Amino acid sequence: MRLVQIIVILWICCSAFVQPVIYTTNNGIVTFRSEAPFELINATSKELKGALDLSKNNFAFRIRIRSFEGFNSPLQKEHFNENYMESEKFPEAVFNGKIIETIDFSKKGKYTIRAKGKLIIHGVEQERIIKSDVEVTDKGIRISSVFSVLLSDHNIPIPRIVKEKLANEINVSIQTELFAK
Amino acid sequence: MLLKKLFIIFILSCSCLLTYAQEVDLNQMLEEEQKKEEKDKIHYTEATFKSTRIINGHSIEVTQKGIMDFRIAHRFGTINGGFYDLFGLDNASMRMSFDFGLTPRLMVGVGRSTYQKQYDAFFKYKLLRQSSGKRNMPVSLAWMSSAMLQTMKWTDTTRPNYFSSRMYYAHQIIVARKFSESTSIQIMPTLVHYNLVKLAGDPSDVIAIGIGGRQKVSPRVSINAEYYYQIPGYQMPNTTNSFSLGVDIETGGHVFQLHFTNSRGMTERTFISETAGKWGKGDVLFGFNISRVFTLKKNKKK
Repeated sequence: MRLVQIIVILWICCSAFVQPVIYTTNNGIVTFRSEAPFELINATSKELKGALDLSKNNFAFRIRIRSFEGFNSPLQKEHFNENYMESEKFPEAVFNGKIIETIDFSKKGKYTIRAKGKLIIHGVEQERIIKSDVEVTDKGIRISSVFSVLLSDHNIPIPRIVKEKLANEINVSIQTELFAK
Repeated sequence: MLLKKLFIIFILSCSCLLTYAQEVDLNQMLEEEQKKEEKDKIHYTEATFKSTRIINGHSIEVTQKGIMDFRIAHRFGTINGGFYDLFGLDNASMRMSFDFGLTPRLMVGVGRSTYQKQYDAFFKYKLLRQSSGKRNMPVSLAWMSSAMLQTMKWTDTTRPNYFSSRMYYAHQIIVARKFSESTSIQIMPTLVHYNLVKLAGDPSDVIAIGIGGRQKVSPRVSINAEYYYQIPGYQMPNTTNSFSLGVDIETGGHVFQLHFTNSRGMTERTFISETAGKWGKGDVLFGFNISRVFTLKKNKKK
Protein backbone atom coordinates (compact mmCIF):
# COMPACT_ATOMS: atom_id res chain seq x y z
CA MET A 1 0.00 0.00 0.00
CA ARG A 2 2.87 2.35 0.85
CA LEU A 3 4.26 2.00 -2.64
CA VAL A 4 1.02 3.20 -4.10
CA GLN A 5 0.92 6.19 -1.79
CA ILE A 6 4.43 7.19 -2.74
CA ILE A 7 3.65 6.97 -6.38
CA VAL A 8 0.48 8.99 -6.01
CA ILE A 9 2.31 11.72 -4.13
CA LEU A 10 5.11 11.74 -6.69
CA TRP A 11 2.66 11.98 -9.48
CA ILE A 12 0.79 14.88 -7.92
CA CYS A 13 4.04 16.75 -7.30
CA CYS A 14 5.11 16.08 -10.83
CA SER A 15 2.01 17.43 -12.41
CA ALA A 16 2.00 20.45 -10.15
CA PHE A 17 5.41 21.52 -11.35
CA VAL A 18 4.93 20.80 -14.98
CA GLN A 19 3.46 23.89 -16.54
CA PRO A 20 0.55 23.11 -18.80
CA VAL A 21 1.80 23.36 -22.33
CA ILE A 22 -1.26 24.22 -24.35
CA TYR A 23 -3.11 27.49 -23.93
CA THR A 24 -6.29 28.21 -25.81
CA THR A 25 -9.02 30.79 -26.31
CA ASN A 26 -12.44 30.75 -27.90
CA ASN A 27 -13.48 34.35 -27.70
CA GLY A 28 -10.66 36.58 -28.79
CA ILE A 29 -11.56 39.94 -30.28
CA VAL A 30 -10.59 40.90 -33.80
CA THR A 31 -11.37 44.35 -35.16
CA PHE A 32 -10.65 45.68 -38.60
CA ARG A 33 -10.86 49.17 -39.92
CA SER A 34 -10.80 50.58 -43.40
CA GLU A 35 -10.03 54.27 -43.64
CA ALA A 36 -10.85 55.56 -47.09
CA PRO A 37 -11.38 59.21 -48.06
CA PHE A 38 -15.18 58.93 -48.21
CA GLU A 39 -15.97 56.14 -45.83
CA LEU A 40 -14.82 54.63 -42.60
CA ILE A 41 -15.69 50.98 -42.04
CA ASN A 42 -15.35 49.14 -38.74
CA ALA A 43 -16.22 45.57 -37.91
CA THR A 44 -15.53 43.30 -34.97
CA SER A 45 -15.72 39.65 -34.20
CA LYS A 46 -15.53 38.06 -30.76
CA GLU A 47 -15.04 34.57 -32.07
CA LEU A 48 -11.30 34.36 -32.51
CA LYS A 49 -10.02 30.91 -31.68
CA GLY A 50 -6.42 30.54 -30.70
CA ALA A 51 -4.02 27.94 -29.39
CA LEU A 52 -0.47 28.24 -28.17
CA ASP A 53 1.87 25.30 -27.56
CA LEU A 54 4.54 26.49 -25.16
CA SER A 55 6.66 23.39 -25.51
CA LYS A 56 7.20 23.98 -29.19
CA ASN A 57 6.63 27.72 -29.46
CA ASN A 58 3.84 26.99 -31.93
CA PHE A 59 0.61 28.89 -32.35
CA ALA A 60 -2.56 28.80 -34.43
CA PHE A 61 -5.39 31.30 -34.80
CA ARG A 62 -8.61 30.97 -36.70
CA ILE A 63 -11.65 33.19 -37.27
CA ARG A 64 -14.96 32.68 -38.99
CA ILE A 65 -15.42 35.48 -41.53
CA ARG A 66 -19.19 35.58 -41.12
CA SER A 67 -18.82 36.35 -37.43
CA PHE A 68 -17.80 39.95 -38.15
CA GLU A 69 -20.42 42.47 -37.08
CA GLY A 70 -20.58 46.23 -37.21
CA PHE A 71 -20.27 47.81 -40.64
CA ASN A 72 -22.24 50.85 -41.74
CA SER A 73 -25.27 48.95 -42.97
CA PRO A 74 -26.56 45.39 -43.20
CA LEU A 75 -26.08 45.61 -46.94
CA GLN A 76 -22.42 46.39 -46.46
CA LYS A 77 -22.06 43.28 -44.34
CA GLU A 78 -23.74 41.26 -47.07
CA HIS A 79 -21.37 42.66 -49.68
CA PHE A 80 -18.41 41.99 -47.40
CA ASN A 81 -19.37 38.32 -47.25
CA GLU A 82 -20.70 37.92 -50.77
CA ASN A 83 -18.46 40.04 -52.95
CA TYR A 84 -15.21 40.66 -51.15
CA MET A 85 -14.41 37.83 -48.75
CA GLU A 86 -16.55 35.22 -50.54
CA SER A 87 -17.26 33.66 -47.14
CA GLU A 88 -19.09 30.71 -48.61
CA LYS A 89 -15.96 29.60 -50.46
CA PHE A 90 -13.47 30.78 -47.84
CA PRO A 91 -15.29 30.64 -44.51
CA GLU A 92 -12.26 31.26 -42.33
CA ALA A 93 -9.09 33.24 -41.98
CA VAL A 94 -6.17 31.38 -40.44
CA PHE A 95 -2.77 32.34 -39.04
CA ASN A 96 -0.42 29.68 -37.79
CA GLY A 97 3.27 29.30 -37.28
CA LYS A 98 6.02 29.73 -34.72
CA ILE A 99 7.14 32.42 -32.32
CA ILE A 100 10.64 33.54 -33.29
CA GLU A 101 11.80 34.55 -29.79
CA THR A 102 12.12 31.99 -27.04
CA ILE A 103 10.34 33.29 -23.99
CA ASP A 104 10.16 31.81 -20.57
CA PHE A 105 6.43 31.65 -20.21
CA SER A 106 6.73 30.55 -16.61
CA LYS A 107 7.85 34.06 -15.65
CA LYS A 108 5.26 36.76 -15.31
CA GLY A 109 5.81 39.91 -17.30
CA LYS A 110 5.45 41.71 -20.58
CA TYR A 111 7.23 40.67 -23.70
CA THR A 112 7.27 41.73 -27.32
CA ILE A 113 7.46 38.86 -29.72
CA ARG A 114 7.41 38.27 -33.42
CA ALA A 115 5.06 35.62 -34.72
CA LYS A 116 6.12 34.12 -37.99
CA GLY A 117 3.72 32.06 -40.01
CA LYS A 118 1.22 31.66 -42.77
CA LEU A 119 -1.66 34.09 -42.87
CA ILE A 120 -4.48 32.74 -45.01
CA ILE A 121 -7.26 35.17 -45.90
CA HIS A 122 -9.63 34.74 -48.85
CA GLY A 123 -7.84 31.49 -49.62
CA VAL A 124 -4.58 33.26 -50.35
CA GLU A 125 -1.56 32.40 -48.24
CA GLN A 126 0.98 35.03 -47.24
CA GLU A 127 4.12 34.50 -45.20
CA ARG A 128 3.99 37.12 -42.46
CA ILE A 129 5.93 38.20 -39.41
CA ILE A 130 3.57 39.94 -37.00
CA LYS A 131 4.72 41.79 -33.91
CA SER A 132 2.69 41.19 -30.80
CA ASP A 133 2.67 42.23 -27.18
CA VAL A 134 2.44 39.32 -24.83
CA GLU A 135 1.75 39.50 -21.14
CA VAL A 136 2.08 36.49 -18.94
CA THR A 137 -0.18 36.73 -15.90
CA ASP A 138 -1.27 34.43 -13.09
CA LYS A 139 -4.23 33.22 -15.04
CA GLY A 140 -3.08 33.07 -18.59
CA ILE A 141 -1.34 34.71 -21.50
CA ARG A 142 -2.63 38.00 -22.83
CA ILE A 143 -1.92 38.85 -26.46
CA SER A 144 -2.53 42.10 -28.26
CA SER A 145 -1.39 42.95 -31.70
CA VAL A 146 -1.94 45.56 -34.39
CA PHE A 147 -1.03 44.92 -37.98
CA SER A 148 -2.22 45.65 -41.46
CA VAL A 149 -3.45 43.48 -44.27
CA LEU A 150 -3.33 44.56 -47.90
CA LEU A 151 -6.38 43.50 -49.87
CA SER A 152 -4.21 43.23 -52.95
CA ASP A 153 -2.04 40.65 -51.13
CA HIS A 154 -5.04 38.40 -50.77
CA ASN A 155 -6.54 38.74 -54.18
CA ILE A 156 -9.48 40.91 -53.08
CA PRO A 157 -9.99 43.43 -55.86
CA ILE A 158 -11.56 46.84 -55.18
CA PRO A 159 -13.96 47.88 -57.94
CA ARG A 160 -13.12 51.31 -59.32
CA ILE A 161 -16.49 52.70 -58.27
CA VAL A 162 -15.76 52.15 -54.57
CA LYS A 163 -12.06 53.16 -54.70
CA GLU A 164 -12.78 56.20 -52.55
CA LYS A 165 -14.82 54.18 -50.05
CA LEU A 166 -12.62 51.20 -49.37
CA ALA A 167 -8.96 51.28 -48.41
CA ASN A 168 -6.51 48.74 -49.75
CA GLU A 169 -4.70 48.73 -46.44
CA ILE A 170 -6.91 47.33 -43.69
CA ASN A 171 -5.87 47.84 -40.09
CA VAL A 172 -6.43 44.81 -37.94
CA SER A 173 -6.17 44.62 -34.18
CA ILE A 174 -6.33 41.57 -31.99
CA GLN A 175 -7.03 41.31 -28.27
CA THR A 176 -7.21 38.01 -26.52
CA GLU A 177 -6.29 36.06 -23.44
CA LEU A 178 -5.38 32.40 -23.60
CA PHE A 179 -5.85 30.02 -20.73
CA ALA A 180 -4.31 26.65 -19.93
CA LYS A 181 -6.22 23.84 -21.46
CA MET B 1 -3.55 -7.23 -4.00
CA LEU B 2 -0.26 -7.03 -5.83
CA LEU B 3 -2.04 -7.17 -9.11
CA LYS B 4 -4.22 -4.29 -8.08
CA LYS B 5 -1.18 -2.24 -7.04
CA LEU B 6 0.53 -2.89 -10.31
CA PHE B 7 -2.59 -1.89 -12.14
CA ILE B 8 -2.84 1.43 -10.33
CA ILE B 9 0.82 2.14 -10.99
CA PHE B 10 0.31 1.36 -14.60
CA ILE B 11 -2.67 3.71 -14.91
CA LEU B 12 -0.89 6.54 -13.12
CA SER B 13 2.24 6.30 -15.16
CA CYS B 14 0.13 6.24 -18.26
CA SER B 15 -1.64 9.46 -17.33
CA CYS B 16 1.74 10.98 -16.44
CA LEU B 17 3.02 10.17 -19.86
CA LEU B 18 -0.08 11.56 -21.47
CA THR B 19 0.43 15.03 -20.06
CA TYR B 20 3.89 15.11 -21.59
CA ALA B 21 3.10 13.55 -24.88
CA GLN B 22 0.65 16.11 -26.17
CA GLU B 23 1.78 15.96 -29.76
CA VAL B 24 -1.02 17.93 -31.35
CA ASP B 25 -1.41 19.92 -34.48
CA LEU B 26 -2.84 23.14 -33.10
CA ASN B 27 -4.43 24.17 -36.33
CA GLN B 28 -6.19 20.87 -36.68
CA MET B 29 -7.30 21.03 -33.08
CA LEU B 30 -8.96 24.41 -33.63
CA GLU B 31 -10.54 23.26 -36.84
CA GLU B 32 -12.15 20.28 -35.18
CA GLU B 33 -13.35 22.42 -32.32
CA GLN B 34 -14.89 24.83 -34.78
CA LYS B 35 -16.65 22.07 -36.69
CA LYS B 36 -18.18 20.86 -33.45
CA GLU B 37 -19.45 24.35 -32.66
CA GLU B 38 -20.83 24.88 -36.16
CA LYS B 39 -23.14 21.94 -35.67
CA ASP B 40 -24.80 23.67 -32.74
CA LYS B 41 -25.34 26.91 -34.62
CA ILE B 42 -28.01 27.84 -37.13
CA HIS B 43 -26.69 29.24 -40.37
CA TYR B 44 -29.26 31.26 -42.24
CA THR B 45 -28.80 31.51 -45.95
CA GLU B 46 -28.21 35.06 -47.06
CA ALA B 47 -28.46 36.81 -50.40
CA THR B 48 -30.51 34.27 -52.32
CA PHE B 49 -31.08 37.08 -54.80
CA LYS B 50 -29.28 40.39 -55.16
CA SER B 51 -32.44 42.45 -55.08
CA THR B 52 -35.99 42.31 -53.76
CA ARG B 53 -37.19 41.87 -57.36
CA ILE B 54 -36.04 39.28 -59.85
CA ILE B 55 -37.14 41.38 -62.82
CA ASN B 56 -40.79 42.42 -62.65
CA GLY B 57 -41.89 40.25 -59.78
CA HIS B 58 -40.77 39.86 -56.22
CA SER B 59 -37.86 37.71 -55.16
CA ILE B 60 -37.62 36.04 -51.75
CA GLU B 61 -35.46 38.86 -50.43
CA VAL B 62 -36.82 41.54 -48.12
CA THR B 63 -35.29 44.97 -47.65
CA GLN B 64 -33.13 44.83 -44.56
CA LYS B 65 -34.25 46.43 -41.33
CA GLY B 66 -33.82 50.18 -41.15
CA ILE B 67 -33.11 50.47 -44.85
CA MET B 68 -35.04 52.47 -47.41
CA ASP B 69 -34.79 51.27 -50.96
CA PHE B 70 -35.58 53.86 -53.62
CA ARG B 71 -36.34 52.16 -56.91
CA ILE B 72 -36.81 53.56 -60.38
CA ALA B 73 -37.90 51.18 -63.09
CA HIS B 74 -38.26 51.97 -66.78
CA ARG B 75 -39.77 49.96 -69.60
CA PHE B 76 -39.29 51.28 -73.10
CA GLY B 77 -41.43 50.47 -76.13
CA THR B 78 -41.25 47.25 -78.09
CA ILE B 79 -38.05 46.86 -80.04
CA ASN B 80 -39.92 45.74 -83.17
CA GLY B 81 -41.01 49.38 -83.59
CA GLY B 82 -37.73 49.65 -85.43
CA PHE B 83 -35.61 52.70 -86.00
CA TYR B 84 -38.67 55.01 -86.22
CA ASP B 85 -39.14 54.58 -82.43
CA LEU B 86 -35.40 54.07 -81.91
CA PHE B 87 -36.21 50.48 -80.99
CA GLY B 88 -38.68 51.50 -78.35
CA LEU B 89 -36.72 54.22 -76.58
CA ASP B 90 -39.33 56.81 -77.59
CA ASN B 91 -42.04 55.21 -75.47
CA ALA B 92 -40.95 54.94 -71.90
CA SER B 93 -43.13 54.07 -68.96
CA MET B 94 -41.82 54.09 -65.45
CA ARG B 95 -42.51 53.09 -61.89
CA MET B 96 -41.06 54.85 -58.92
CA SER B 97 -41.22 53.30 -55.50
CA PHE B 98 -40.04 53.44 -51.93
CA ASP B 99 -39.53 50.21 -50.06
CA PHE B 100 -38.83 50.01 -46.35
CA GLY B 101 -37.46 47.22 -44.21
CA LEU B 102 -39.36 47.30 -40.93
CA THR B 103 -38.05 44.16 -39.26
CA PRO B 104 -35.55 41.58 -40.47
CA ARG B 105 -38.50 39.66 -41.95
CA LEU B 106 -41.04 42.32 -42.96
CA MET B 107 -40.90 44.90 -45.71
CA VAL B 108 -43.50 47.30 -47.03
CA GLY B 109 -43.48 49.51 -50.09
CA VAL B 110 -45.45 52.01 -52.10
CA GLY B 111 -45.12 52.86 -55.76
CA ARG B 112 -46.61 54.78 -58.65
CA SER B 113 -46.54 53.61 -62.26
CA THR B 114 -47.14 55.87 -65.23
CA TYR B 115 -48.72 52.86 -66.97
CA GLN B 116 -52.47 53.27 -66.32
CA LYS B 117 -51.62 55.88 -63.66
CA GLN B 118 -51.47 53.19 -61.06
CA TYR B 119 -50.62 53.41 -57.37
CA ASP B 120 -49.64 50.32 -55.49
CA ALA B 121 -48.76 49.26 -51.99
CA PHE B 122 -47.53 45.91 -50.75
CA PHE B 123 -46.03 43.99 -47.89
CA LYS B 124 -43.79 40.95 -47.95
CA TYR B 125 -43.14 38.78 -44.93
CA LYS B 126 -40.53 36.07 -44.70
CA LEU B 127 -42.12 33.11 -42.91
CA LEU B 128 -39.29 30.60 -43.22
CA ARG B 129 -35.62 31.10 -43.75
CA GLN B 130 -33.43 28.54 -45.44
CA SER B 131 -30.84 27.35 -42.94
CA SER B 132 -28.31 24.69 -42.19
CA GLY B 133 -26.51 23.55 -39.06
CA LYS B 134 -28.62 22.93 -35.97
CA ARG B 135 -31.84 23.63 -37.82
CA ASN B 136 -32.05 22.33 -41.33
CA MET B 137 -34.54 24.17 -43.50
CA PRO B 138 -34.29 23.40 -47.20
CA VAL B 139 -36.22 26.43 -48.47
CA SER B 140 -37.17 29.99 -47.65
CA LEU B 141 -40.81 30.96 -47.78
CA ALA B 142 -42.39 34.38 -48.02
CA TRP B 143 -45.88 35.82 -48.33
CA MET B 144 -46.46 38.87 -50.49
CA SER B 145 -49.72 40.79 -50.83
CA SER B 146 -50.23 43.91 -52.85
CA ALA B 147 -53.08 46.28 -53.61
CA MET B 148 -53.17 48.30 -56.79
CA LEU B 149 -55.24 51.37 -57.57
CA GLN B 150 -55.67 52.46 -61.14
CA THR B 151 -56.59 56.13 -61.56
CA MET B 152 -57.41 56.50 -65.25
CA LYS B 153 -60.48 58.62 -66.11
CA TRP B 154 -63.66 56.57 -66.26
CA THR B 155 -64.32 55.44 -69.81
CA ASP B 156 -68.07 55.43 -69.35
CA THR B 157 -69.33 58.23 -67.13
CA THR B 158 -72.99 57.49 -67.76
CA ARG B 159 -73.06 54.46 -65.52
CA PRO B 160 -72.39 54.42 -61.77
CA ASN B 161 -68.66 54.13 -61.14
CA TYR B 162 -67.38 53.00 -57.77
CA PHE B 163 -64.00 53.61 -56.24
CA SER B 164 -63.69 49.91 -55.50
CA SER B 165 -63.81 49.20 -59.23
CA ARG B 166 -60.38 50.73 -59.50
CA MET B 167 -58.84 48.30 -57.06
CA TYR B 168 -56.91 45.11 -57.79
CA TYR B 169 -55.21 42.73 -55.40
CA ALA B 170 -52.46 40.17 -55.73
CA HIS B 171 -51.37 37.51 -53.28
CA GLN B 172 -48.27 35.46 -53.71
CA ILE B 173 -46.41 32.70 -51.94
CA ILE B 174 -42.71 32.60 -52.71
CA VAL B 175 -40.75 29.41 -52.12
CA ALA B 176 -37.05 29.81 -52.80
CA ARG B 177 -33.92 27.80 -52.47
CA LYS B 178 -30.33 28.86 -52.87
CA PHE B 179 -28.85 25.70 -54.34
CA SER B 180 -25.31 26.93 -54.37
CA GLU B 181 -23.35 30.11 -53.97
CA SER B 182 -24.33 31.10 -57.51
CA THR B 183 -27.61 29.35 -58.29
CA SER B 184 -31.00 30.16 -56.78
CA ILE B 185 -34.47 29.18 -57.94
CA GLN B 186 -37.89 30.16 -56.65
CA ILE B 187 -41.51 29.24 -57.38
CA MET B 188 -44.33 31.72 -56.91
CA PRO B 189 -47.98 30.60 -56.98
CA THR B 190 -49.93 33.82 -57.43
CA LEU B 191 -53.54 34.95 -57.31
CA VAL B 192 -54.55 38.24 -58.92
CA HIS B 193 -58.01 39.49 -58.06
CA TYR B 194 -59.99 42.02 -60.13
CA ASN B 195 -62.84 43.88 -58.48
CA LEU B 196 -64.12 44.80 -61.91
CA VAL B 197 -63.26 43.11 -65.18
CA LYS B 198 -63.85 44.47 -68.70
CA LEU B 199 -66.23 41.81 -69.94
CA ALA B 200 -68.74 39.67 -68.12
CA GLY B 201 -66.94 36.54 -69.32
CA ASP B 202 -63.54 37.56 -67.95
CA PRO B 203 -62.40 35.77 -64.81
CA SER B 204 -62.11 38.02 -61.79
CA ASP B 205 -59.42 35.76 -60.34
CA VAL B 206 -56.34 34.97 -62.34
CA ILE B 207 -54.16 32.16 -61.06
CA ALA B 208 -50.59 31.87 -62.18
CA ILE B 209 -47.50 29.94 -61.25
CA GLY B 210 -44.26 31.79 -61.54
CA ILE B 211 -40.74 30.46 -61.69
CA GLY B 212 -37.67 32.58 -61.39
CA GLY B 213 -33.98 32.05 -60.95
CA ARG B 214 -30.58 33.54 -61.00
CA GLN B 215 -27.15 32.36 -61.97
CA LYS B 216 -24.18 34.37 -60.78
CA VAL B 217 -21.47 34.84 -63.37
CA SER B 218 -19.18 36.83 -61.08
CA PRO B 219 -19.52 37.99 -57.47
CA ARG B 220 -21.25 41.17 -58.63
CA VAL B 221 -23.08 40.09 -61.77
CA SER B 222 -25.89 37.61 -62.18
CA ILE B 223 -28.20 36.53 -64.97
CA ASN B 224 -31.88 36.35 -64.04
CA ALA B 225 -34.95 34.86 -65.67
CA GLU B 226 -38.59 34.94 -64.68
CA TYR B 227 -41.68 33.31 -66.17
CA TYR B 228 -45.32 33.43 -65.09
CA TYR B 229 -47.62 30.72 -66.41
CA GLN B 230 -51.33 31.56 -66.22
CA ILE B 231 -53.39 28.47 -65.43
CA PRO B 232 -55.81 27.86 -68.34
CA GLY B 233 -59.35 28.62 -67.22
CA TYR B 234 -58.11 31.29 -64.84
CA GLN B 235 -56.40 33.28 -67.54
CA MET B 236 -57.33 36.68 -68.95
CA PRO B 237 -58.38 36.24 -72.57
CA ASN B 238 -56.01 37.55 -75.26
CA THR B 239 -53.01 37.73 -72.99
CA THR B 240 -49.70 35.95 -73.06
CA ASN B 241 -47.49 34.68 -70.29
CA SER B 242 -44.85 37.03 -69.03
CA PHE B 243 -41.25 36.06 -69.69
CA SER B 244 -38.28 38.20 -68.81
CA LEU B 245 -34.55 37.77 -69.07
CA GLY B 246 -32.08 40.11 -67.46
CA VAL B 247 -28.82 40.82 -65.79
CA ASP B 248 -28.14 42.23 -62.30
CA ILE B 249 -25.11 44.38 -61.73
CA GLU B 250 -24.27 45.39 -58.20
CA THR B 251 -22.00 48.28 -57.27
CA GLY B 252 -21.83 49.40 -53.66
CA GLY B 253 -25.27 50.67 -52.63
CA HIS B 254 -26.76 50.33 -56.13
CA VAL B 255 -28.22 47.41 -57.98
CA PHE B 256 -28.76 47.87 -61.72
CA GLN B 257 -31.08 45.42 -63.38
CA LEU B 258 -31.17 45.48 -67.17
CA HIS B 259 -33.58 43.22 -68.96
CA PHE B 260 -35.73 42.28 -71.90
CA THR B 261 -39.35 41.42 -71.22
CA ASN B 262 -42.65 41.11 -73.05
CA SER B 263 -44.54 42.87 -70.23
CA ARG B 264 -45.13 46.58 -70.17
CA GLY B 265 -46.51 46.80 -66.63
CA MET B 266 -44.43 46.47 -63.52
CA THR B 267 -47.00 45.47 -60.91
CA GLU B 268 -48.46 42.00 -60.37
CA ARG B 269 -51.71 42.75 -62.17
CA THR B 270 -50.16 44.42 -65.18
CA PHE B 271 -47.43 41.89 -65.90
CA ILE B 272 -48.91 38.59 -64.74
CA SER B 273 -52.41 38.90 -66.19
CA GLU B 274 -52.19 41.69 -68.75
CA THR B 275 -49.08 40.95 -70.76
CA ALA B 276 -49.86 41.30 -74.45
CA GLY B 277 -46.49 41.01 -76.16
CA LYS B 278 -45.22 37.85 -77.80
CA TRP B 279 -41.50 37.09 -77.78
CA GLY B 280 -41.80 35.31 -81.12
CA LYS B 281 -43.12 38.43 -82.81
CA GLY B 282 -40.48 40.67 -81.31
CA ASP B 283 -42.88 42.40 -78.92
CA VAL B 284 -40.05 42.69 -76.51
CA LEU B 285 -39.25 45.73 -74.41
CA PHE B 286 -35.96 46.81 -73.03
CA GLY B 287 -36.09 47.96 -69.43
CA PHE B 288 -34.10 48.59 -66.33
CA ASN B 289 -34.56 48.85 -62.58
CA ILE B 290 -32.27 50.93 -60.47
CA SER B 291 -32.23 50.39 -56.76
CA ARG B 292 -30.50 52.73 -54.35
CA VAL B 293 -30.51 51.96 -50.66
CA PHE B 294 -30.36 54.48 -47.87
CA THR B 295 -29.69 53.65 -44.26
CA LEU B 296 -32.39 55.26 -42.14
CA LYS B 297 -31.39 53.74 -38.82
CA LYS B 298 -27.70 53.70 -38.07
CA ASN B 299 -26.16 50.80 -36.26
CA LYS B 300 -25.79 51.87 -32.66
CA LYS B 301 -22.75 49.71 -32.10
CA LYS B 302 -19.74 51.29 -33.74
